[in-house]
Amino acid sequence: MSKLAVEFKGTKDGVTIYCLEDASFSDILSDLAERLKQRAAFFGEASVKVDVGQRKLTAKEKAALKGVIEENSSLKLLSVQSAKERKKAVVPAKRKGETEDLRLDGFKEGRSLVIKKTLRSGQYIRFPGNVIVLGDVNPGAEIVAEGDIYVFGTLRGIAHAGVSGDRNASVVALRLAPTQLRIADVISRAPDDSSFPDQPEYAYVSEDRIMIAAITTKLGS
Amino acid sequence: MGEVIVITSGKGGVGKTTTTANLGVGLALHNKKVVLIDADIGLRNLDVVMGLENRIVYDLVAVVEGHCRTKQALIRDKRYENLYLLPAAQTRDKNAVSPEQMRKLCAELKEDYDYILVDCPAGIEQGFRNAIAGADQAIIVTTPEVSAVRDADRIIGLLEAEELKARLLINRLRPDMVKRGDMMDIDDIVEILAIELIGVIPDDEKIIVSTNRGEPVAANANNSLSGQAYINVAKRILGESVAFLDLYQNQSFFSRLKKLIGFGS
Repeated sequence: MSKLAVEFKGTKDGVTIYCLEDASFSDILSDLAERLKQRAAFFGEASVKVDVGQRKLTAKEKAALKGVIEENSSLKLLSVQSAKERKKAVVPAKRKGETEDLRLDGFKEGRSLVIKKTLRSGQYIRFPGNVIVLGDVNPGAEIVAEGDIYVFGTLRGIAHAGVSGDRNASVVALRLAPTQLRIADVISRAPDDSSFPDQPEYAYVSEDRIMIAAITTKLGS
Repeated sequence: MGEVIVITSGKGGVGKTTTTANLGVGLALHNKKVVLIDADIGLRNLDVVMGLENRIVYDLVAVVEGHCRTKQALIRDKRYENLYLLPAAQTRDKNAVSPEQMRKLCAELKEDYDYILVDCPAGIEQGFRNAIAGADQAIIVTTPEVSAVRDADRIIGLLEAEELKARLLINRLRPDMVKRGDMMDIDDIVEILAIELIGVIPDDEKIIVSTNRGEPVAANANNSLSGQAYINVAKRILGESVAFLDLYQNQSFFSRLKKLIGFGS
């Protein structure tokens, strides 16, 4: 089995193939050929960039690379770039006091699952880390996470954070209107005659009860 | 020793769940200990119609798989303390439960409760097989439509094969349409299906309001004809002899009265 020499990464502009720094050029070519063969159907006719890292390729090597790609897939080679030409990652802006009211100690970094769709009734997600939903969670849908749960949308279903017993876990939603909230071993349900405020809120455990607080942003202060 | 009644229809959308909820309320009003089982795993609704959705922690599948005790999964109704709901699981499917497990569960519940009403899913597959497994008798819900009656007939045939006694509940009757000759009448349906009629529920806007609110109409029976009709069905289940409601009361009722007398025992 040949050593892993290239890495595929999907971006919104297409596929980028990263050549690992410690791989030899011949390894790169053979690994690339093999993996393109396996995934040719998956990639289709996407456009592709090859990132060669720190190395400098001769015209002959570039041609060889192009040959391997064209021979084994329908990908369209746009360019060959080096590490220096990579786009810089977006640095988040820092706003002072933005999360003043949040109990930040409750939130943890860690493995996270990002779900880019609305979870509908009957759909069930369980993940040993944080779960982030870019969409709504409808009634009848259930998210169970060992870490925190973040819903960038309306949470109407059931969210269970800190399922393995972490009472510091939190549930955050742009609109928190759940059927039930569970954090670790604490369960709460929506009040029967409920109206939900139209603003981001988060839930946490305090003295054996689930508390809900608004997330207030204090901009420019 | 209690009795297990399955509420079934074959066709979807004829009012099985609404009927289950309202009969549960009706029986509870007569001081019976009642459990409602939602057998529609994966498409549960009974919890919503009862307004108990936000109380669900354990469900039918959790019980049969042994994750909790049966009593733990029973949700006490917010209005009647002798009415309980055993909700279906939403994230599973019909194959999560077997007829044998349902039979065992029903037998267990019969020890402590007077009536166990099983809300059957539409169809005649696994979900239907599960729902009827533990039943002692059945109530067939149909609407006055040819398609619903056709499916009810099919279901009655299947229940006869299981030697289950079935009674008929006609739902969503519209006396005005019957009068114009645009809808099957009660006796047309009874003639085709040829089983005992246990009740006729008139079509009622209040049903939609009540299911949306999670408050069965039978809980406020004085406010609606449909609520009264359900209460009467509950009484008939208890063995009382109750006259059928005169659903044609605002119509040219002399001619209609004659028809009703045929059923008015």
